[in-house]
Amino acid sequence: MIELIDLRKEYDNLVAVQDLNLTIPQSEIFGLIGPNGAGKTTTIRMACGLLMPTLGKAVVDGVDVAREPERALRSIGYLSDFFAVYEDLKVWEYLDYFAHAYKVTESDIPGRVTEVIALVALEVKRDALIRGLSRGMKQRLGIARAIIHRPKVLLLDEPASGLDPKARLELRNLLRSLRDGGTTILISSHILTELEGFCTSIGIMEKGRMVRSGRIEEVTAAEHLARDMRISWMGDSTAAIEAKLAGHAYVANVQLGAGSGTFQFAGSEDEMAGLLAELVGAGVRVKGFAEVKQTVEDLYMKLSKHEVM
Amino acid sequence: MLKFWRNPEFVRHVRAELRPARAVTVAVVALFVCGLIWLSCWSFVQQDLENARNGLQRYGGEPWMARVAMLEKNIYHETWLLFFWWVFAIQGVMLTLWSLFACAQSVSGERDRKTWDFQRATSLTSSEFLAGKLIGEPILTYFLGLCLLPFTAIAGLVGGISLGGLVSAYLLMLGGSLFLGVCGLFLSTLVESGSRGITLLIGLAMYFMTAGAMGMTNSGFPGVAVFSPVSGIIGLYSPNEPAFRRSPTLFGQPVPWLLLSLVLWVTFGSWIVLMLVRNLKRDYEEIRPLSRWQAVGCAAFLNFVLYAMVNPARFGQAGSHELMSLMIGVNGLILFAMGLATLTPQERLRVWWRKRATGSVAMFSEDGLPWPWLALSAVTAYALIVWGTLAWDKALPFEMKSLERAAVQLLVVLVFITRDVLFLQWCKLTRMSRPVFKGLMYLCLYYAAAVVLIMLFGQASETNALRVLSLLTPVGAANPEAEGFRFPASLYVGIALQAGVIAAIVAAIGGRMNRRLLAVASGD
Repeated sequence: MIELIDLRKEYDNLVAVQDLNLTIPQSEIFGLIGPNGAGKTTTIRMACGLLMPTLGKAVVDGVDVAREPERALRSIGYLSDFFAVYEDLKVWEYLDYFAHAYKVTESDIPGRVTEVIALVALEVKRDALIRGLSRGMKQRLGIARAIIHRPKVLLLDEPASGLDPKARLELRNLLRSLRDGGTTILISSHILTELEGFCTSIGIMEKGRMVRSGRIEEVTAAEHLARDMRISWMGDSTAAIEAKLAGHAYVANVQLGAGSGTFQFAGSEDEMAGLLAELVGAGVRVKGFAEVKQTVEDLYMKLSKHEVM
Repeated sequence: MLKFWRNPEFVRHVRAELRPARAVTVAVVALFVCGLIWLSCWSFVQQDLENARNGLQRYGGEPWMARVAMLEKNIYHETWLLFFWWVFAIQGVMLTLWSLFACAQSVSGERDRKTWDFQRATSLTSSEFLAGKLIGEPILTYFLGLCLLPFTAIAGLVGGISLGGLVSAYLLMLGGSLFLGVCGLFLSTLVESGSRGITLLIGLAMYFMTAGAMGMTNSGFPGVAVFSPVSGIIGLYSPNEPAFRRSPTLFGQPVPWLLLSLVLWVTFGSWIVLMLVRNLKRDYEEIRPLSRWQAVGCAAFLNFVLYAMVNPARFGQAGSHELMSLMIGVNGLILFAMGLATLTPQERLRVWWRKRATGSVAMFSEDGLPWPWLALSAVTAYALIVWGTLAWDKALPFEMKSLERAAVQLLVVLVFITRDVLFLQWCKLTRMSRPVFKGLMYLCLYYAAAVVLIMLFGQASETNALRVLSLLTPVGAANPEAEGFRFPASLYVGIALQAGVIAAIVAAIGGRMNRRLLAVASGD
């Protein structure tokens, strides 16, 4: 659905995005993560035709964005970290304007405007002038604008910055429902917890380059990253557990306390089951033995070199 | 393209600026102002009549009697006519000025409000934005003009103006405001956000230049005067005004003021529309008003139009000589403007430079250095000078030596303009903020310094001053004593010197282009 092919952008004497290749299939939520200045915004702006790439191309829904921008833009919804709106329009007029600007079929516009207003919970403000809305409401209106034309692709550049926790939760739910409806979403953020729990894929950018990208499980597997394990037990078996873990080939970073502890395990599922059997066989009364799920933050911290241009 | 009254951008402006309460207020104010103006006009004409009566009483005589009789007979006619002119003038100034300023703040205003990216990310094309903004931005003024229209129409007809005259006058007003609106819109794409002061100044300069174009009626190019709507209106209603007795000419044939106004606005406006359509949706850094071929075409068009508008009667005995020198000067300005309009953005030039090193791109490239295109424009201009000279041969006889002289003069102009444009291109490659503006300031400083040097050398002798003039500025080429290729040696030394400077600037550009890129250097 989104293809970035050898995408490159140069400014002055630096390369903001360096020969980026990325394919995001339909119905993915792709989290583009990286520090400020990594090239995330430049990538998104090139993907939606706001910036011409120095070299390479962005293809959205099969259309080259630079060659046929107007056609490509019908499939793209764009939202950035600022929610500038036309203060002198009413809420419905604002959405009606963008529906027409995105060339939504004339007869569908009134219904779609009502639908989107309901989706962002602004029904009571439908006929209010935008200048009278609160900041949160304006941000919701910005989200409504980005989806007014039912885009197949949503490009969101730090969309949650400035949103309160409730609005962030609502935004997540909205994005999940859009993904379920077949929308492909590319979302950038440097606040990793923002992306936690709903991204299906991630890409880590640093210094204009994609350090790693793919589905979260694939990235983890490809890196042979050690899994964080948590163990808890009954009775005084600390010495026995320590002896078993210390001698195990796939175990590292063992930290045991009173009745519980953590360690890293680099083996397969089978070998993990074997370790559990060994512990039980050694007389340890294991109460809990589970993998601690990797967060996006964990992945980023492991893969990133923390370089900024 | 969408019909303009359904154009979303137009509809947005109508909705935002013509809400019922505001529209009614505007209409009421218009009515009130009309009432006040009518009372003023009535009072003025009554006063005039009173003065005429007093004059008759005091001095007596035929003229006073005739004046009183005329005013008494035509009192209402005179009042309505005066009212018409006042309201029409207010409409004209308001419409043209507001159209220019509203459009001049359109795109830069959107950039300031950070709404421009959201507009650019829609499916509206540049042409649709252009149409919507051109009519939509000054919509309040158009509405006010529409409110006043019934009053002026009635007043004009009662005042004795024909329906055709009325329609022509409004056509001029509308044409002028659309032309200025397009110019304003183009200006707004060129100024960075937060540059309202500069926009205001340039806008005012554009307005007064357009309005002041009417002063060209007695020049060698009287047709240029029609850029001002005032020329057309005077031509329509007061054809006996001394400056307007003769119609402007195209290829020596008289053309009505109204027609030539419309022709020039449409043709010049088309070039600006072309620049807008190319650039309106582009990012600020990527704006290049014209492609290289379009720039050459535009230079040719401007030369062609100027030759078409020549009034041979305004040139003296050395007519063709004088015309050629004037055209060389004008071409200097045209070449500089073309060079400015086609400067290559840094990243594009860098890509071209890399490809050039591998021999995969030509010198005549859209993203290459501007100098080959300036040379091509100059050759085209010279071809048109030859054509123009031959075309006006009967009215302005010429000698072959004039063409030789013109060739040297154009070469000098080309060398200096190439140097200046390449300098601006170099400025664009530095990390200066507003590089082109600063580059222009540096060029002004250079020419100011050159003038001071010339004055200093002038203290010693005039010959020395002329030598420095030829070395440092293109003005030396205007030497009236030169014949054919025979110019003072200092002129040719000046050309060689500036060619050396050009080579140095190209080397400096090369130095910039060959610098390693930061991320690549440290990343790999």
